[in-house]
Amino acid sequence: MLFRVIDKNEIEALVRGFATSYEVVGPVKRGESYVFDEIGCDPSRLCVDYTTTLLPPKKYLLPPREVLFKFSTAQNSVQDFEQEIVPRVLFGLHACDINAINRLDKVYIDDEYDDPYYHKIRENTLIVGISCMPSEHCFCNVWGTDEVTQGYDLFLHDIGDRYLVSILSVRAAEVLTISTSAREASVQDSVDFQTRNAKFRSAFPSANNISELPMLMDAFYNDALWEELGERCLSCAACSVVCPTCHCFNIKDILSPNGEEGTRVRVWDSCCSPDFAAVAHGHNFRATAASRVRNRFYHKFLGYPSKHGDVLCTGCGRCEVACKATINPRVVIDGLQQDAIAQRNSAIDKGVARG
Amino acid sequence: MDKIIGANETEQIRRNYETLSGTELMKRNLYRPWPARITSITELTATEKLFELRLIDPEVREAFTHTAGQFVELSIFGVGEAPISISSAPSKQGFIELCVRSAGSVTGVLHDKQCGDIVGLRGPFGRGFPFEEMKGHDILLVAGGLGIAPLKSLINHIHDERHAFGNVTILYGSKNPSEVMFRSQFEMWQHRKDFNLILTVDNTEDQPWDGEVGVVTKLFNRIDIDPNNTYAAIVGPPVMYKFVIAEMRKKGLHFDRIYVSFERAMKCGIGKCGHCMVGHQYVCVDGPVFNYWEAANIQGAM
Ligand SMILES: Cc1cc2nc3c(=O)[nH]c(=O)nc-3n(C[C@H](O)[C@H](O)[C@H](O)COP(=O)(O)OP(=O)(O)OC[C@H]3O[C@@H](n4cnc5c(N)ncnc54)[C@H](O)[C@@H]3O)c2cc1C
Ligand code: SF4
Ligand code: SF4
Ligand code: FES
Repeated sequence: MLFRVIDKNEIEALVRGFATSYEVVGPVKRGESYVFDEIGCDPSRLCVDYTTTLLPPKKYLLPPREVLFKFSTAQNSVQDFEQEIVPRVLFGLHACDINAINRLDKVYIDDEYDDPYYHKIRENTLIVGISCMPSEHCFCNVWGTDEVTQGYDLFLHDIGDRYLVSILSVRAAEVLTISTSAREASVQDSVDFQTRNAKFRSAFPSANNISELPMLMDAFYNDALWEELGERCLSCAACSVVCPTCHCFNIKDILSPNGEEGTRVRVWDSCCSPDFAAVAHGHNFRATAASRVRNRFYHKFLGYPSKHGDVLCTGCGRCEVACKATINPRVVIDGLQQDAIAQRNSAIDKGVARG
Repeated sequence: MDKIIGANETEQIRRNYETLSGTELMKRNLYRPWPARITSITELTATEKLFELRLIDPEVREAFTHTAGQFVELSIFGVGEAPISISSAPSKQGFIELCVRSAGSVTGVLHDKQCGDIVGLRGPFGRGFPFEEMKGHDILLVAGGLGIAPLKSLINHIHDERHAFGNVTILYGSKNPSEVMFRSQFEMWQHRKDFNLILTVDNTEDQPWDGEVGVVTKLFNRIDIDPNNTYAAIVGPPVMYKFVIAEMRKKGLHFDRIYVSFERAMKCGIGKCGHCMVGHQYVCVDGPVFNYWEAANIQGAM
């Protein structure tokens, strides 16, 4: 890892530097909130002090609707098809969203079962991160996703009137050097960095201890909490749409009007949708909302970690805002932990466990 | 500007990457179906047909090798895809057999196809039965209904290397006599004493029948098993597993020598789309074949 320092007002030059060879996407203001959007060569649209966007940047890696190939029904064959990849820089991502992309990478970039669509787009995507301060919905500190150490090309740490820039890729280093007067970090820069980090960490409420979470997910698989959440859930899939780590999809064939050719597309899907686990003959492996909500969190807290190590949640809080039924990771964790405490207390009362 | 070339037609890829082997071609884009010609269709029952397919591209055909228990994604362009177990043995080079029930849109259209028609295939996917590990042991196979399709691949493979196995017992349950599949082949094998085969139907429904009547679990009191030297496999409707496994455990079979195969909704077949998720596993890549110890520890699986 390499560090350089630039002045804050050099950020526009940096954006312009990227814009010569990349499409630049960054946080812009829309109404009262923020969204990721293409900013063209106009760095002034960029809102570097944004709070979490409504939608995550995953749409740039996993488009909501993506053509896999074209086919001819007349000849029953796959036709020539080339997908143009736009070299792009995702500029101004918070640590949580970069951690989310790192988690998607583990699913889609794989020696044995590689996803060529995601892989190619990812290879042509640069990421410039930026430091942030938590809002009321942020709980990344619970998972340790408030910091990111890999997956980005540059990370801009706000240190007053300068950025301490962490550099992980040569491609980005080149743009940085050409477009700004990046300099070595001084002692003062490093002290300011530490001060700023301490301030960042103390801005979070204290984090739940989640070391028992995998065990709770398993032991409380039949807990009443799931029924309770299932009754509230509207099966609207909003949680999956706004989640930076949710990545399930459906595959569909779309025919041209004359029926002679068509495209096979993949579209975002959600395990909270009623038909997600339905098979032929009308059987549905997760027919109830309770079983679907449980599956979503079981995968996030236990399934994905059992394969890839990390929890499939970054604590970005988007689903806390999006879910009309107040179903979200903190509600699940609190609910399970409370039920676990109740269970333990009742066991002590009955004399089957020691306090 | 970069492009995804993995989605291209064979010829184009070949022009750009002449040195790619068939395996590499397939691996470039696992979502891409390869054209396969239907070379024979056998009607098995009123709702099931056996399709023999031949991949058209010679390099892809040569590179396509599977193990019993694996599946393919079968494409009907414009309709969609369906995961189907491979019924033929790995040793049947150049041809792939699929035993398909007409169950909906894709399988329905497939049933209307004729010999010579072309469909798409990608795969093989998933983890099959541990064939090498099973060698040297007695084998007990239990099939219910369409479960005979994936088991047929294993049965054929065992038959090919019959000398490598001890006693082989097959219990096969169907709803009624007209739903029994591969009957003549089974009878030939039984006649030659290759396998100890016991057929049963839930109900004869007044059709001629000389086999057993009753659910498949009833056959367990008729068989002798050496629990320390037996591998078992069960494929059938979900309700069957619990009861059959209970019988096997009563006989003393080991947890990790009882194999089951799961069916779940599937879209990608390669661990990406999430549809086949069960507990902490993806049926498409972690299964569809699991041993009972694994299966029992997947929440919501059994
Ligand atoms: C590993 C594996 C091996 C299999 N092996 C075989 C085999 O050897 N032979 C065989 O005949 N079958 C096999 N099957 C089952 C076979 O895949 C299904 O019968 C087939 O997918 C049905 O497809 P269809 O398009 O014909 O049916 P449809 O019912 O038209 O489509 C079924 C698909 O549609 C979706 N769906 C179902 N109901 C609904 C609904 N109400 N709303 C929205 N979507 C819905 C499901 O996601 C399902 O994938 C296997 C399945 C698996 C997972
Ligand atoms: S958990 Fe909330 S956002 Fe998700 S499907 Fe249910 S109601 Fe919709
Ligand atoms: S589950 Fe909610 S908090 Fe966690 S990453 Fe997804 S949207 Fe963010
Ligand atoms: S079928 Fe897509 S993940 Fe298993």
